[in-house]
Amino acid sequence: MSQEEYHAIKTEGLTKQYSSETAVDDLSLSITPGEIYGFLGPNGAGKSTTINLLMDFTRPTSGTINILGEDPRNDVVSVHQRVGVLPDDFSLYESRTGREHLRLFIDTKGANDEPEDLLERVGLEDSIDDKAGDYSRGMSQRLALAMALVGEPDVLILDEPFSGLDPHGVRKVRKVVHEENDRGATVFFSSHVLGQVKLVCDQIGILNEGCLVAEGTLEELQASASINTELKLTVDGDPKRAAQAIDTLEGVIDVSAPEDQIDEQTESERQNHVNKTVTAQIISDEYRRDVIDTIEEVGISVEDTRIKDPSIESIFVAHTSEAPAEVNSND
Amino acid sequence: MYIAWEQLNSDMTIGFIQYSSELLFPLAAVILGYRAIVAEQVSGSLKFILSLPLTRGEILLGKFVGRTIGIAIPCFLAFGIITVIGILQYGLFSPLRYLGVLVITLLYLAVLVSVVTSISTLVNRTATAAATLFIGLILIFEIAWEELVTVFYYLMTGIQVNRLDPPPEGGLFLLERLSPSGAYNTITNWILDAGNSASIHSQVLTEIQPGSTTNILAVETAFSPESVPLYLHESVGILILGLWGLVPLTIAYYSFNKGDLE
Repeated sequence: MSQEEYHAIKTEGLTKQYSSETAVDDLSLSITPGEIYGFLGPNGAGKSTTINLLMDFTRPTSGTINILGEDPRNDVVSVHQRVGVLPDDFSLYESRTGREHLRLFIDTKGANDEPEDLLERVGLEDSIDDKAGDYSRGMSQRLALAMALVGEPDVLILDEPFSGLDPHGVRKVRKVVHEENDRGATVFFSSHVLGQVKLVCDQIGILNEGCLVAEGTLEELQASASINTELKLTVDGDPKRAAQAIDTLEGVIDVSAPEDQIDEQTESERQNHVNKTVTAQIISDEYRRDVIDTIEEVGISVEDTRIKDPSIESIFVAHTSEAPAEVNSND
Repeated sequence: MYIAWEQLNSDMTIGFIQYSSELLFPLAAVILGYRAIVAEQVSGSLKFILSLPLTRGEILLGKFVGRTIGIAIPCFLAFGIITVIGILQYGLFSPLRYLGVLVITLLYLAVLVSVVTSISTLVNRTATAAATLFIGLILIFEIAWEELVTVFYYLMTGIQVNRLDPPPEGGLFLLERLSPSGAYNTITNWILDAGNSASIHSQVLTEIQPGSTTNILAVETAFSPESVPLYLHESVGILILGLWGLVPLTIAYYSFNKGDLE
């Protein structure tokens, strides 16, 4: 590996200006080989534009891009030989089968892969000879991922790989990402869902309005800003006592029980256990078990738990000075 | 038809190939080709092709060659049937002329697909590609060209052209063979020895009969043999066809290679 190849992906001052807006603004990324990098940001933040620039689908207004030591514009053939991409907003060839799609990629890249093996990895082996026009959104997404895997690319660029997938599909994709990473591939993927990024990535970059506003491991990002996970517990007992029990527990930042509202509640709300809900702000999902155990230790059983990941907006609140005025916590 | 038979004899079969290609090829090229690039760009499947280890020039060339072959196969199968029927009906033709016309016919098809692919590259919407090609290539350059040529010539030179008795104006004759089909007819008429004209061979053969007057422009009936300008030689048709093939594709290449294709 030459000195130049130290970075799997490197951009410097990357800017893409459209007539009225700046989609990507002075973006400098350095992605180390072997890393899983999560590129996080709300819709319209410039994630897809960045990926289009990395792939040379669009050309930058200014700045430089380097992938595996080469310029994707001047060395498009050798860069694309070593990169696999799952683009956003794509469509397949409706009258062609999954096998034919993969054949096109295998033959053009001169790879040794078998379409059957690739589709098995994404759980689509039963539809290999079906026309892509009959595929559901999730199936199309998985075929496109299989196409990105052709030729064991050194870099995988995945644009919203989890969108349109059911939980089973999400697990499959996550597994594929880890398998590819274990093989030695660098994975760069974008998402607007924090939950998936947290589970998969070594390194996270947060993009907002075309700018990289924060970068680091999840722990680093959480340390630099309090990004809490909200845990809602339905308890069979006095919620106030449950709240007191966990108030000082490690990993718990804030607890609230609906004590003040009890008088105002109707009988039907009582029946629905609305008044038996304890809301705890915890540092991360890992502390959920401790919280439940602690409540059950004081003799109150926990009937139901619901966890809500910190919304992407709360991260922007934490990491941008120009935060959205109102955080939508129902997202 | 009778005159064509009298003049061409067994080469009638070759004439049929010219006759059927002249208008059918532009229609086939437009209908089967206008979506080539623009539809993939709109739908997003172009991203997959762009992500392959290929230059944009290779992608454009691949689209052009692929569409040409795709349209050529059924067309040349049809020519095979025409050939068999022709031989049974009119006897064996000159194999050299037959081969020559087939080569020029394939060139004509490639030129048309080049125009169609190029337009498909240059526009942003599928409907724009269809409209541009139907109006431009089919309506203007195929169907209305002969009429338009006389109008253009009048506007440019002030000379009123009576097509029944055309003046020996080189520019007028050149203009008429500047359309793809005009150039194609000129070359294939040359191979068939059917006269120097941008029209279909049977019409030209009728026009150059002694005492016959039609609205077809044939060099033989308007010029004396020694006054024919050099640029009206039939071989210039190959140059015209070549330009129709190369110029649009070159423009399309520069546009395709330069910009954003997301």
